[in-house]
Amino acid sequence: MPSSHDWINKPLGVVEAMFAQSNSNPEWEAKVLEYFKGQLKEKESHSWVPSLNDVPLHYLKPNSLVKFRCLVQDMFDPEFYMGVYETVDPSTKVLRCGKYKDVTECGVDLNSRNTVTAERQTFYCVPIPGESPWAKEISFLSAARVVPSTSYVPSRQKRSYEEDDDMDTQPQKTKWSLTELQSSSPHGNGDSKRQETEAPSSQTTAPSDCSSHLDLNFPLPGERGPACLVKVYEGLDSFKLNDTLEIYGILSVNPVLTVIVYPYRDPSLLLLNPTESMETPEEQRAHDPPASLVPRLHMLYARPLQHNNPLLPSAPTEDQSAFVSSFLVEMASVRAELLAYLTHVLLGDGLAAEYLLLHLISNVYTRRDVLPLGKFTLNLSGCPLNSYTERLYQIVQQLVPCSYRLSMSLHTMNSMRLVPKKDYVANRLVSGALQLARNTSLFLDETQLEQGQLDSSGVRNITALGNLISWQKVDYDFSYHQMEFPCNINVLVTSEGRSLLPSDCQVPLQPQVTPPNMEEYLTTIHMAQFTSQINKFRVYLSLARTLDYSISDEVTKAVEDDFVDMRKDDPQSVTAEDLHRMLVVARLLSLSLGQTTLSRDGWMRAKHIDMLRRSRTEQQKSLNGNEP
Amino acid sequence: MESAAETSTAGVSVKDDLSEKCQKLFLEFLEEFQDTNGEILYQPDAEELIRPERNTLTVNFTNIEHFNQQLATTIQEEYYRVYPFLCRAVRYFARDHGNMPVAKEFYVAFSDFPSRQKIRELSTARIGSLLRISGQVVRTHPVHPELVSGTFLCLECQSVMKDVEQQFKYTLPNICKNPVCANRRHFMLDPNKSRFVDFQKVRIQETQAELPRGSIPRSVEVILRAEAVEMAQAGDRCDFTGTLIVVPDVAALAVSGTRAETSSRVTGGRQGFDADGIQGLKALGVRDLSYRLAFLACYVAPTNPQFGGKDLRQEDQTAESVKNQMTVQEWEKVFEMSQDKNLYHNLCTSLFPTIHGNNEIKRGILLMLFGGVGKTTMEGTSLRGDINVCIVGDPSTSKSQFLKHVEDFAPRAVYTSGKASSAAGLTAAVVKDEESHEFVIEAGALMLADNGVCCIDEFDKMDLKDQVAIHEAMEQQTISITKAGVKATLNARTSILAAANPIDGRYNRSKSLKQNVNMSAPIMSRFDLFFILIDECNEVTDYAIARRIVDLHFRNMESVERVYATDEIQRYILFARQFKPKITAEAKEFVVDQYKRLRQRDSSGSTKSAWRITVRQLESMLRLSEGMARLYCSDELTYLKVHPKHVKEAFRLLNKSVIRVDSPDINFDQEQDNGEMNDHSDMIGTNRNHAEEAMDTEHGAGRPEKTSTAKPALKMTFAEYKRVSNLIVFHMQKMEDIDESSLKMSELINWYLKEMESEIESEAELVAKKNLIEKVLHRLIHYDHIIIELTKTGLKKVGDEGEEPVIEEDPFLVVNPNYILED
Repeated sequence: MPSSHDWINKPLGVVEAMFAQSNSNPEWEAKVLEYFKGQLKEKESHSWVPSLNDVPLHYLKPNSLVKFRCLVQDMFDPEFYMGVYETVDPSTKVLRCGKYKDVTECGVDLNSRNTVTAERQTFYCVPIPGESPWAKEISFLSAARVVPSTSYVPSRQKRSYEEDDDMDTQPQKTKWSLTELQSSSPHGNGDSKRQETEAPSSQTTAPSDCSSHLDLNFPLPGERGPACLVKVYEGLDSFKLNDTLEIYGILSVNPVLTVIVYPYRDPSLLLLNPTESMETPEEQRAHDPPASLVPRLHMLYARPLQHNNPLLPSAPTEDQSAFVSSFLVEMASVRAELLAYLTHVLLGDGLAAEYLLLHLISNVYTRRDVLPLGKFTLNLSGCPLNSYTERLYQIVQQLVPCSYRLSMSLHTMNSMRLVPKKDYVANRLVSGALQLARNTSLFLDETQLEQGQLDSSGVRNITALGNLISWQKVDYDFSYHQMEFPCNINVLVTSEGRSLLPSDCQVPLQPQVTPPNMEEYLTTIHMAQFTSQINKFRVYLSLARTLDYSISDEVTKAVEDDFVDMRKDDPQSVTAEDLHRMLVVARLLSLSLGQTTLSRDGWMRAKHIDMLRRSRTEQQKSLNGNEP
Repeated sequence: MESAAETSTAGVSVKDDLSEKCQKLFLEFLEEFQDTNGEILYQPDAEELIRPERNTLTVNFTNIEHFNQQLATTIQEEYYRVYPFLCRAVRYFARDHGNMPVAKEFYVAFSDFPSRQKIRELSTARIGSLLRISGQVVRTHPVHPELVSGTFLCLECQSVMKDVEQQFKYTLPNICKNPVCANRRHFMLDPNKSRFVDFQKVRIQETQAELPRGSIPRSVEVILRAEAVEMAQAGDRCDFTGTLIVVPDVAALAVSGTRAETSSRVTGGRQGFDADGIQGLKALGVRDLSYRLAFLACYVAPTNPQFGGKDLRQEDQTAESVKNQMTVQEWEKVFEMSQDKNLYHNLCTSLFPTIHGNNEIKRGILLMLFGGVGKTTMEGTSLRGDINVCIVGDPSTSKSQFLKHVEDFAPRAVYTSGKASSAAGLTAAVVKDEESHEFVIEAGALMLADNGVCCIDEFDKMDLKDQVAIHEAMEQQTISITKAGVKATLNARTSILAAANPIDGRYNRSKSLKQNVNMSAPIMSRFDLFFILIDECNEVTDYAIARRIVDLHFRNMESVERVYATDEIQRYILFARQFKPKITAEAKEFVVDQYKRLRQRDSSGSTKSAWRITVRQLESMLRLSEGMARLYCSDELTYLKVHPKHVKEAFRLLNKSVIRVDSPDINFDQEQDNGEMNDHSDMIGTNRNHAEEAMDTEHGAGRPEKTSTAKPALKMTFAEYKRVSNLIVFHMQKMEDIDESSLKMSELINWYLKEMESEIESEAELVAKKNLIEKVLHRLIHYDHIIIELTKTGLKKVGDEGEEPVIEEDPFLVVNPNYILED
C-alpha cells in the first residue's frame, strides 16, 4: 500500500537520516533530491502523493509530502536560515539540519561556530487561475481514487449516486446540464460541488475575521483554493514568474509561523528599537500570513507543466509519446467531429467554426525580437446579443483547461485591475486579471460594452489589452517604471461590430440558423455530446498545440512565389501582414490535422479559407459603408 | 549570524588586535594623507565637523588604497568588525583639529568604492565586508532617532549606568553595576543622557538592467545612519556603500525578559490570547530558522548611471571613465567595432534584423541613438542635442515595429500610443494622492524617458492640444506644469521617435507632407527627420519581404543575423556618446555651402519642400553630423571632430527625409487608363524599391527632357506640374479679377502656348506642349479639383463626367474658390 511509504509520510525523517549519514559532506543535499526524484519516477508513485489542490488543508498531515499544481504569482526576496545548527543542550550537543523546515523544537546554540547560514527563496504560488471546473473535477476524482495518506476520504454527497470512479473510463453521457453550467457563475470558478471540500478552516489558530480580510492575491476575482508559500532551495534562476509548476514538497503548517500582526505600534518602541519595525504590518500580512490559510511548502522537486489538462500525460515520457502517436491516428476524425460541434455552436457557421478551432490550438511558439509568433487572436464579430456570448464562453470553458471571461462593460473596464502592480508598502506584487498561465483562453466579451466615459484606469486597461493582443506581453506596473512580462494567452474577442481592440483576424459571424430559443438550442447541442466525446476534444485541443511543426524548402519557395504573384495581380490585396497571418493560419491548419509539415495543399487551403474570410469582411464593410 | 554573535556581548568590548591596529593605521592615514599641493587632505573636512549638524567624515576609498593597500584590504574584508574603530579614529582626528564636544559621536563614510555588486549577488558570504550596491529606491521610511548608547537608571538602587552600547535592539544592562544590587530586569532609560543617531530605512530594488527576464526584481532594506539619511528619495537610483548584515529576527531573538514586557504592552485586545499562546510555544524553545538581511550603508551617492545602469548618457562621464568600466573583452569588442570600415551599415542591420529594407529609416534612428551635442549659448539658452524622428506611413508598413524595437533596445525608452494617452499621460500630471490628499506630480511618458527615447505611436491621433503640450518638451527639453498650486519645471531630455498615419489612411503623394499628416506646422518643424513609408509593390522587394517573413516563421534563430549583439551595440553607443565632437573648419564651410544651397532652392520655388528651410534645418544638420561623427568615433580618440564626410551623410539624410518628400513624377498616360490616384506611385518606375528612393530625383526641371524620348512629354515631375498649374491658376485669378469673367478652355490653352512660345521650336513640339497642357488641365479639373469646369452654363449640353474633357465643347473654367495659391 502506498500509505506505508515513509517518504511520503515522513519525508523529514528521510532527510534527517541522510544528513546524519553524511558527516557534513555537502553532497547529501544532492542525494536527497536524487532520492525523491527517484521515488517519484516510479510508476504511478506521483499519484500517491496527496495534492493540495484537491484535499483540504486540514486533512493533510503536517510535515508530509504533498504536491501542488500552481502558478508562481510572486517571488519574495531571498531569506536566510540556519542550514545547519547545533542544539543548545551541552550534554547532547548535536548538529541538526535546518533545511526544509521553518522551525525547530529544540534550543539552538546561536553562538556555535558550526552554524551554517544558507539561502532560500520564497515564491508565492496560487492555483492556476481560471482552471476549468472539469479539469479540477478530473484531477479531484483521480485523487479520490488513490487513498491518500491522510484520514481524509472525499465525500461528495451530491454526486455520490453517480459513478465516481469509472467516470473517465466508461463512455457515458454527460450529466452537465445547463442549470449546472449556470451555477458556475460568470467567473466560472465557483464550482458548487467543491464547496463542501473547502470546509471552513475553523480549527486554525487565526481568528476567523482575520482570514476574511486577508487578501490571498488571486489574479482572478472569485477564485478559491489554497495559496501557498513555497520555499525554494535549488535552481532559483530556473523559475520565472507566471510559470506553472507541479511542486512536490514538505508541508509545513506550524502555528508558530503565524506572526501576530499588531494592530498598532507603540511609537516609543520605534524610538528605542527602530529595527523592530523592519517590516510594516502590511508587509507582515503579505509575507507571513497565518500558516493555516497559506501553508508553507518546502520544495523537494518541481516539474514545469506544459499544460494542465489532466487527461493528458503531463510529463514528456515514453508514455506520452506513445499516447501522442496513438492519438495522431484519430486526429483527423476528432477534428471533423469537433468542427461539426463548433459549427452547431456557432449557429451553423462553418467558417467561423474553423477559425475558432484554429484559435483554440494557437500558441506563441517563439519570439523574434519583439515579435511573438504563432499568436492568433480571433475577433468574432456579429455575435447575437442576449447572453449568447455567455453560453459560448461556457462551451469554450468545457473544452479548454484554463479560461476566463472578461466582460468588457464600462464598469469593469474602469474598476477592474487588469495589470499587476507592485505594492511597495506590503512589498508584494498585487495581482491583476492579466496575470494568467500560458495558453489560458481569455474571452473578451465586447458585446457587454456600452457607451459612456472611460476614466484613466479604463484607458489603461484597454491599452493593456491592446498590448497583450499585439505583442503578447503585459507591462507590470512597478510605480517607477513598467516591466514587460511576456505571456502566451489566447485572446478571443466577441463583439457586435468590429472590435475596438486589435486582432489578428476578424470573422463576422453569419448564422445559418436562427433558433427561436437560443438557450434551449445550445443546451440541446451540449447535451447531445457524450463525455467521452468531450474528453476527446479536450485531449485533441491540448495535444495539437504541442506538436512540432516545420516547413520544407520547396514549400517555402512555393509560398514566396505565391506571395509575389498575388502582389502582382493586385498589389493592394495582399500585404506583408496578410502573409504573416496566412502563414500562421497554414501552420494551425496543418497542426489541426495532425500534420507536422506544411504541404502545398495545406498552404492552398489556408489561402482559401483566408480568402473566404476576407470576402466576408469586405462584404461587411460595404454593407456598413465605412472604412476599417 | 556572525554579527548577531558579535554584538550579543553588548557593553563590553573584547580586545581586538586587528581592529586596534586598523584604527591606528587609519588615524595615520587621516593625519598624513596629502593632496597634490601637500596639504593634509582631510583636515579641512575634519574641522567642518564642529558644526552641530555634521558628524560624518567622507573618505575616498581610493586614497586609502594609495596610502596603504593592506589597510584598504582589511577595511574591505573586515569592514563591519573594524568600523567602530575607524569611527573612533575619526573622533581622535577631529578632536585634534578642532574643539569638538567630548560626547559627540563621529562616523566615517567611504566614497568611490571601486567595485559594485548586483543586488542579486548579495549572499551570506558577503556579510561584513565592504560593498557597493546600486538600486532604485522604492520606499523610504521617516527618519527616527536610534539609540546608540544608553544611560540607564537602576530602578532598585538608583545607580546610573552609562554608555550601554545598543546594537539593533534595545539592550538593557545585563546586571546592575552596583555589586550589592542583583537587579537584572528593572532599568529605566534616561533619554537626556543617552546618545542617539539619525536612522532611516529605505528599500532599494534591482534596476531593470540587472534583472533577468521574467523575474520579479529583488529588493533589500538599507539602513542609513547619521548624515546618510534623507539622501535618497523614492524613485532615485543610488549607490550605497556599506555592508550586508544579518538583522536578527527580533521576534526570535527576544529572550524572555524584554520580550514579555513589550509584547504584553502591545498585544491586548482580541489578539492577546493568540499572542500569548505563541509566545508560550516560543518559550518552549521552538524557534524560527530564518533571518533577514539588510544593508547597512554609510555612504549614498546618486548612481552616475554607468555600466550597470546602462544609461545611454550622463553628464559627468568621459570616454575614459566609460572605458575603465568595461571589462577587457568588452573594450576589445568596442575597439573592434570602432575599426569596422562598414560600421554604419553593420549597426543598422544589427539593430533591426527583423525589418526588411527601409535603410534610410534605420540610419536615421541609429543617428538618433547616437544623438547630437547639447549646447548652451552665451546667453544661457540651451540648444538640444537630441534628434527627433518621425515616420509617416501607410498602414502595415512596420512603423510600430520600428518603435517597438527602439523601446526594446534603448535603455530608458518609453513606448506610448498617442491615441491612448492624454496630455497628462504623456507629459506630467498633478494628481491628488488618495490617502494623504496631497498633490503629487505623476511622471508621464516623456518624463520617464528623460535621457532616453520616447516612442510615440499614432502621433497624429493625439489631441492637438496634447501635441502642443509636448512642444516645449521637444525644443526646450523641459515640461512645466502649473496646476493646483503646483508649479514645476521638469526635465524631459528626450529624443522623440514618432509614428503617424497619413490623413486619408494612405499617403497621397500628390499632396504635400503637411497636407498628408495631421500635425501642426510648429510641431512638424521640430522633427529633424521625416521618413515616409509607402507600401509599394514590385517583384524584387516582394520576394525579399516574403523571404523575410517565411524565415521568421520557420527558420530557427539563425535567420536573425546580426553582426553585433544588442549589448555590444548598447555599449558602443554609450561609449561613443561620451564624445563631444567639434566642427572642423572645412566642415563648417561645407555646412554653410549646403545650407545656402538648400535656402536658394527653397526660395526659388522650383521644388516645394515640406516646409521652408530655416535655421532649424541647419541645426538638424549639425546634430546629425555630430551623431555621425560619434558613430565613427575611432578616428580621433581625444578630440572628436566633425568632418565634411559626416556632414555629407547628414545632409544626404536630411535631403532624403525633408526636402523631397512629395515630388513624385506625374504620369498622365497611365493615370487616365487607371484613374487611380493612390496608385500612381507604383507606375512611375520599376526600379524604385522604397519611398525614399522614389523621391531621390535630382533637380526637377531636368527630368521631363530625359524621359520624353520614349513618351514625349507625357510625364513631368511634380515640381514641374506644380509650376505649370500655379502659372495657370495665377493667370486665371488675374483674369477673373480684371474682368470678372471666366476663361474658356481654348483661350487658356492658347494663352499658355503663347507664354511658352519662346521654348517651342518645331511644330511637333507645339503639338506636344498642347497635348501636355490639356492633360494638365484635365488633371487639375478631375483629380486635384483646383479648377472647376463649368459645362452647364454654356449653350452646349452637359458632357459626360469622367470622359476626357471635350475640347470641342470648350467649357468655361474657373478657379475653385477654396483654392489658395501656395507659395
